[in-house]
Amino acid sequence: MVLKNMNDLNRLVEGGPRKRLVLAAAQDQHSLGAVIRARKEKIVEPIFVGNRKDIEKICESYNYDIEGIRIIDEPDTEKCVETAVKMISNHEGDILMKGKIGTATLLRCVLNKEWGLRTGNLLSHFALFEVDTYPKVIAVTDVAMNIAPSLQDKIAIVNNSVSCLNRLGYKTPKVAVLGAVEMVNENMKATLDAALLSKMNQRDQIKNCIIDGPLAFDNAVSLESAQLKGIKSEVAGDTDLLLMPDIEVGNVLYKSLVFFAKAKVASIILGAKVPIVLTSRSDSEQAKFDSILLAAAASE
Amino acid sequence: MEEMVVALKKKRRVAVAWAQDTNTIGAVSKAVKRGLIDAILVGNPSAIKKTCEAEGVDHKEFTIVESENEGKAAAEAVRLTRSGETDILMKGLVGTDKFLKAVMDKESGLMIPEAVLSYVCALEIPAYHKLLFITDTAVIPFPNLDQKVAMARYAIEMARKFGIPKPRVALIGASEKMSRHFENSVDYSIMCKMADRNQIQNCIMDGPLDIFLACDKKSIEIKGVETPINGDADILLFPSLESSNPFYKGLMLFANGELAGLLRGTTKPVIVMSRSESETSKYYCIALSCLMA
Repeated sequence: MVLKNMNDLNRLVEGGPRKRLVLAAAQDQHSLGAVIRARKEKIVEPIFVGNRKDIEKICESYNYDIEGIRIIDEPDTEKCVETAVKMISNHEGDILMKGKIGTATLLRCVLNKEWGLRTGNLLSHFALFEVDTYPKVIAVTDVAMNIAPSLQDKIAIVNNSVSCLNRLGYKTPKVAVLGAVEMVNENMKATLDAALLSKMNQRDQIKNCIIDGPLAFDNAVSLESAQLKGIKSEVAGDTDLLLMPDIEVGNVLYKSLVFFAKAKVASIILGAKVPIVLTSRSDSEQAKFDSILLAAAASE
Repeated sequence: MEEMVVALKKKRRVAVAWAQDTNTIGAVSKAVKRGLIDAILVGNPSAIKKTCEAEGVDHKEFTIVESENEGKAAAEAVRLTRSGETDILMKGLVGTDKFLKAVMDKESGLMIPEAVLSYVCALEIPAYHKLLFITDTAVIPFPNLDQKVAMARYAIEMARKFGIPKPRVALIGASEKMSRHFENSVDYSIMCKMADRNQIQNCIMDGPLDIFLACDKKSIEIKGVETPINGDADILLFPSLESSNPFYKGLMLFANGELAGLLRGTTKPVIVMSRSESETSKYYCIALSCLMA
């Protein structure tokens, strides 16, 4: 079971039950636009939490049809995020989305020990790309959240991502642990971590996936490249998930794919009770929509 | 072991340091009689001759070189080997530290520069269907990653000389799981990946594995662990001297094991045997050194 592109992602949720998306601090045109479109395409049923007056004003200006959408009026930003998070805790929502509020504030509420969305797992960023030059979608993690993940962090990040891919229909996704080279080098921690993750996967300590690494980027995505180097790997050339060694290379890859390869991208945060959509103003309309789509497909 | 002896083609010359004990002389004599070697015994001539007489060995089988004491005998035997007058160095009754000191001397010793000094032995055990190579049973107390890699390479090299083109190397631990709390399992996982990427060549490597998974096919089925070693290991690599040494001694004592071992990392083969080891073991060590020379 493999997704070739975002359309395939769409097909996954098509005809299924609409996921309930709680938009925290919904007085934000950027997120509102994407949510309304997702509602139109019957992907989500939104609930807006925020300043009702401002929400209605924006929707009127932009001609967003909000007929029948539940709006919970809470003008205070902090309180409205708390409300949104508590709704999810109470099983009133399947997806949490960030509106006009700082990411740090939102995540603080998500991580609240009493009423938050903790699962005991590390939170991690998961991005799904559709690139013309690769035959299927490819996931990349973690390009925006964990700065310099330790081995333990990487295990958590892989587990989050693999669970998500399992829910998208991938029974045993192929995971490439990236490094600058495909050989083990004692001076390159990325290659050592890769060896350890591979072994843990072999011993079924990390399940439901096939992990190989270290692999350089070209070996991971090009079978020919791997064969030229004489690399014997089940993952090389057929990667479903790229595990990045740290945030710098992850973020650069993400943006290179978008700017230079004109890739489509959907991103969500994993590791909380529900997927979290954190779009920013610099994201394209399509990216915002695709992120909601991904969240819907990935939520239980 | 016998197959190894029979396969030897070229006669070698052995220098023995402080050669006056029974086991050493007995083993050397056996090897000389079998046509494997010529021997230069360095030590106290009268003591040597006395032992020969007691053992019913003709001292004229050997060349005897006089030496005042243990230390000097070691140095002289090393010098002979270094210069090429002999091909192989063997430790006799001299203490191991004195002996290794001479071997490891930077100016006049037998060390390959930058090489790891290590020990590999081949064990013949009736209860196992083939030879088992074990390392490091004598030299390195707590090998780090680089040392473990060197150990693996030496053992693979030796197994290949015995005619096994791609030996199965089992990296031994108490469990087969990788845990960052057990540094050895971390080292082993790294080594396995190095073998995957051909950075350690000519082997099938897996670990961590316990002894049962390494040497007992039934265990594999029972535990359901997938490993290319499959209970059919050729080489067992241990995480420490304190685990490997009791293991091989246990086998010698309780499982009728027969042993041949050799020091690695030297420019010429060096035979180091414990003074308590049998004449037969020493004889096999000599044969092994001829194979590896």
